[in-house]
Amino acid sequence: MDKIDRLGWAAGISFVSYGVRVGVRVNKPEILERLVARFPPGWKPSRVRIVERLYSVIVGGEGPRPNVRRFDILYGNVEKLLRTLDIDELLEVFESDLKLHVAAGARRRVFVHAGVVGWRGQAILIPGRSFSGKTTLVAELIRAGATYYSDEYAVLDAQGRVHPYPRPLSVRQNGKRVKRTPQMLGGKSGTEPLAIGLVIVSRYKPGARWRPRALSAGEGALALIENTVAVQREPKTVLETLRRAMPDAPVLKGVHGNARQVVDHIVKNFSARDNKH
Amino acid sequence: MDETRNGFAPRARTAGLIVRELAGELLVYDRDRNKAHCLNETAALIWKHCDGRTTVSTLRDLLQDDKVAPVDEQVIWYALDQFAKDHLLQERLERPARIGRLSRRELIQRIGLAASIPLVASVVAPTVFAAASCTQGCTIPINCTVPGCQGGCSGGTCLPG
Repeated sequence: MDKIDRLGWAAGISFVSYGVRVGVRVNKPEILERLVARFPPGWKPSRVRIVERLYSVIVGGEGPRPNVRRFDILYGNVEKLLRTLDIDELLEVFESDLKLHVAAGARRRVFVHAGVVGWRGQAILIPGRSFSGKTTLVAELIRAGATYYSDEYAVLDAQGRVHPYPRPLSVRQNGKRVKRTPQMLGGKSGTEPLAIGLVIVSRYKPGARWRPRALSAGEGALALIENTVAVQREPKTVLETLRRAMPDAPVLKGVHGNARQVVDHIVKNFSARDNKH
Repeated sequence: MDETRNGFAPRARTAGLIVRELAGELLVYDRDRNKAHCLNETAALIWKHCDGRTTVSTLRDLLQDDKVAPVDEQVIWYALDQFAKDHLLQERLERPARIGRLSRRELIQRIGLAASIPLVASVVAPTVFAAASCTQGCTIPINCTVPGCQGGCSGGTCLPG
């Protein structure tokens, strides 16, 4: 760390997010604002000098000769996370790593890698890793009238309720990621914590027809455990949270080739279920 | 596992396990192996009674009372096989020579009711990095340097791995 400390830092900030203390320092102050824009929802500035995760960002910029550029470099503590000529890539990797470390170290919250929307006063959870198709499902649900909660993490409290984690959706278009706010999709973000009303365990498979089968609450909990960030560190907390979160929620599992089919199924059946109660 | 006058008495493992009941099923987390298991209602009933004193034939009677229907002893052995495979028993399972091993399909054919079959579903708990969301751009796999996202390069984005 000493070597990195000696590099010369022009600006910095420390903050707390979900109980995790984080520091960021940069060699050029103008980049700090763009990094702050990538902080997790609900972060608060802090005066602590000792942090659990320290990011050091070196902006390379123009080199000593024309047509020569210096690399932009991102460190997470002492580890070099990225060396790139594309500052947007550095911002993406910074955001992704920061979110993961906050999710892994969060106090009093369980982070499940999942898309979440609010639907008729309850949360629909779509657990899954990158490339499982969950962002497409979330976007389609928003277009169908759902309230946006997250396309990355379901944040569960000790009672098993889901809290909003409203970062812009990261939609893939022509092989590139673009950010979309729920408003751009004709929706809005939720603000209140919700009980889980439905869990959709699905992955994208080209050409597949959505023919889900029902899973038990326990099998649904296993699907969430498979996507829970800190389960190895806090298994007791995770199991207790899922026990509270899962007892009544139906769980559907299947592959889908078209997000619209899944959404139509939810609109039809989840509404019907809602009406029965 | 004890062998009593009336038969085998399996004992469930307790050390290193976290157990929670969920709508009649059991969620079991194995801290030693970082695996999570879900025991369906039938498996949960059997496992809860694996106390080192209750014999296989008594387990069958207990299950019979619960299901209000005759239960084949093979059902108990099928459950015990799964518990043993998932390290949920304290001692190694030693099956009597007279009891053959049945597959799930054979068991369903024999007893008829799939709902009564004891089942244990399992998943490996992910590490923190396995749950990472991959956003790093790439043109070739060597560009992918972020932990948890080193599974290759596809469509300009690094893949999980």
